[in-house]
Amino acid sequence: MHRQPSEPSQHAQIYRIALLFNANKVYDREIIAGIGDYMRSTRVTWDLFLEEDFRCRLPGIERFDGDGIIADFDDPAVAEALRGCPLPVVAVGSSYEDAAHYPAKEPYVATDNGKLVALAYRHLIEAGLQHFALYSLPQAPENRWAQQRELAFTRLRRQDNPAVEIEREIYRGLSTSAPTWHQAISQLIEWLRGLPKPIGIIAVTDARARHLLQACVSAGFAVPEEIAIIGIDNDPLTRTLSRIPLSSVIQGTTEMGRTAAHLLHQMLGGARLAGRQILVPPVGINVLASSRHQPLASPYVMRARHFIRQYACQGIKTEQVADYVGISRSSLEDHFRRELHCTVHQEILRHKLDAARHMLASRDVATAEVAVRCGFTSPQYMHAVFRRELDCTPREYQERAIAESQS
Amino acid sequence: MSIAPALSIQAPLDGAISSTTWGHLPGGEPVRLFTLRNGPGMRVSISDLGATLVSWQAPDRGGRLGEILLNHASPAAYLESAGYLGGLIGRWANRIAGARFTLEGIDYTLDRNEGGNLLHGGASGFHRALWDADDQDGALVMRLTSPEGDAGFPGNIAVQVRYALDDDGTLSIDYEARSDAPTPINLTSHGYFNLSGKPGTDIKGHILSIDADAYLEVDAKLIPTRASSVAGTAFDFRQGAPIGVRLDWPHAQLAQAGGFDHCFMLRETALGDGPHVRAVARLYDPGSGRELTVLTDQRGLQFYSGQKLSGAHAPRSGLCLEASAYPNQVNMADAEMVMLRPGAVYRQRTQYRVSVAGET
Repeated sequence: MHRQPSEPSQHAQIYRIALLFNANKVYDREIIAGIGDYMRSTRVTWDLFLEEDFRCRLPGIERFDGDGIIADFDDPAVAEALRGCPLPVVAVGSSYEDAAHYPAKEPYVATDNGKLVALAYRHLIEAGLQHFALYSLPQAPENRWAQQRELAFTRLRRQDNPAVEIEREIYRGLSTSAPTWHQAISQLIEWLRGLPKPIGIIAVTDARARHLLQACVSAGFAVPEEIAIIGIDNDPLTRTLSRIPLSSVIQGTTEMGRTAAHLLHQMLGGARLAGRQILVPPVGINVLASSRHQPLASPYVMRARHFIRQYACQGIKTEQVADYVGISRSSLEDHFRRELHCTVHQEILRHKLDAARHMLASRDVATAEVAVRCGFTSPQYMHAVFRRELDCTPREYQERAIAESQS
Repeated sequence: MSIAPALSIQAPLDGAISSTTWGHLPGGEPVRLFTLRNGPGMRVSISDLGATLVSWQAPDRGGRLGEILLNHASPAAYLESAGYLGGLIGRWANRIAGARFTLEGIDYTLDRNEGGNLLHGGASGFHRALWDADDQDGALVMRLTSPEGDAGFPGNIAVQVRYALDDDGTLSIDYEARSDAPTPINLTSHGYFNLSGKPGTDIKGHILSIDADAYLEVDAKLIPTRASSVAGTAFDFRQGAPIGVRLDWPHAQLAQAGGFDHCFMLRETALGDGPHVRAVARLYDPGSGRELTVLTDQRGLQFYSGQKLSGAHAPRSGLCLEASAYPNQVNMADAEMVMLRPGAVYRQRTQYRVSVAGET
């Protein structure tokens, strides 16, 4: 199977490298981007083999006529297919609390589950929460990482409170499938009802965090006042699918890709790296509304803000907020003045203004369209609000924001 | 210089420098601690012992102040320590090979305080001296004279270091020195940062980027031997990377130094004539959201990952980003660049800016 490099070039030797990933998720795609980063930063010339749809097909892999492989070992079938592979292989995947789970032969680049969960947990503590839970996944060979995140959560909770009833704080739920979707959400709501509030919940992925948000919205739990949520992955697609912007831990995926590429590069040069593990910590948290918990005393204000957060951009008025909360407009105003030192109208306007600023800054969009989409009655009114609150026109704001993002 | 009238209506605490007596030297001289504050409530404390950066209280993502510098509790502890914590380093920052150099045909022999080398100004470096200090327009100005023969160096030199903190969270350090005879000079600030605000935690999760395409390889005594490209190595911080991961990348230079203790050759800017200040490095702590930006007009940035910390401070509980000339440059091709002659002025500007990283 080993073969002399295909075309010995005067500049650099060309290696044929296979990437075995199911790159349909942001996690895998960013690892591959990191591998690309590494190649561009060096003079290595790798001829990359990747399926056209970025999905990994194992049959025939043993006949791959190449020089090296970088593979996702979270999929047990991949690890199995590469058993006995004579080529240099770098494995990528979950970290394990028990070192016996790492492959003995291949160097291994891991996302550090302990540090991912710790970052999310500390963030919720610093937001002022005192109750915590983890929303995980049903146990399966493909998602051993979810169980590793449970172990990390358990360890952190026991450190802080040796008497913690960890079984009550971890919920695996059902796996997602269309026929059981409704049932899954109802059971999730049941679990949420039984938890003490306010509570901060870590979801093992952003997809899981999105279920939580859906369950909270349909059961009427205020996010983040009653239930604060943080996911893992910082997946932009998931973010666009929920009304309440989702906080998320950002994994060190591009650095995982760079590290895996570097290790393979060393092995192609003759280095022996068997048994070496490199754990990559998270590189950030995207803090958005779902975890911006502020302890509030009044349940009316909580519910009102929850409603405003979802519907401010649809042109709602104070009346509708009061209707949703179920108290009179004047007593709702009293509660707002006491807790937030503002009127309900001001709170709605603040959300609309934030949404408009975000939309103007993120892309080249006409201000009239922004006004409509953010619930302003007219572009003129939005113009006046910008002048008053930000001392500039929407157009000026947009130009400045775009210039800043390009500098 | 005229002062804008607006300054007079500022609240007296903003921009004002407070000072306290912090302790005494063995000879009885008082050691003072000065505190600079800015509008948003950040506080930087600096001692006249060694013009040392002792404390930097900076807000995290939630607005809570936390300590981001490693420090000792008392002046006595600084005198006993070998860690150079926060010290103003001179007359020569970093190493001089064999503690010797030649200038205008004369061979000079310096103090040897690290194997056969001189390190950080020798045993009686500027970081151990008591500086004169006073408040000038809200900035802290410190002065020191170093006599001819100090650690073996020629020339009497007068050094001034000005610390100023602005409302953006930028601590500007402006250095000036004059000499009555030719002498090498290379100054730096040796703060150990840990942006988490949690003393004792390690810095391996900090994300570092450095604007350098090359670094200086070192020998077993940490003396630079040659320039080497960062491409494809653990030293490539042109895109941000977690420090702990890079410590795990296999590399003979990391094994030799026990981690990073290397000078990065900063990209020069193509603008104008003479050196000018540009952002050269960024350090980010995901847990707290704090971000440190280093700006300097210098050509080198020593990145030290804190592996030799001991005693009260665990190894890798802080890291240094020291802007300066190249280590041992006095014995390298560009030696003339680091020579200060009578009538000329040595100048350096380095800024450390601490903020909360933008989140989208």
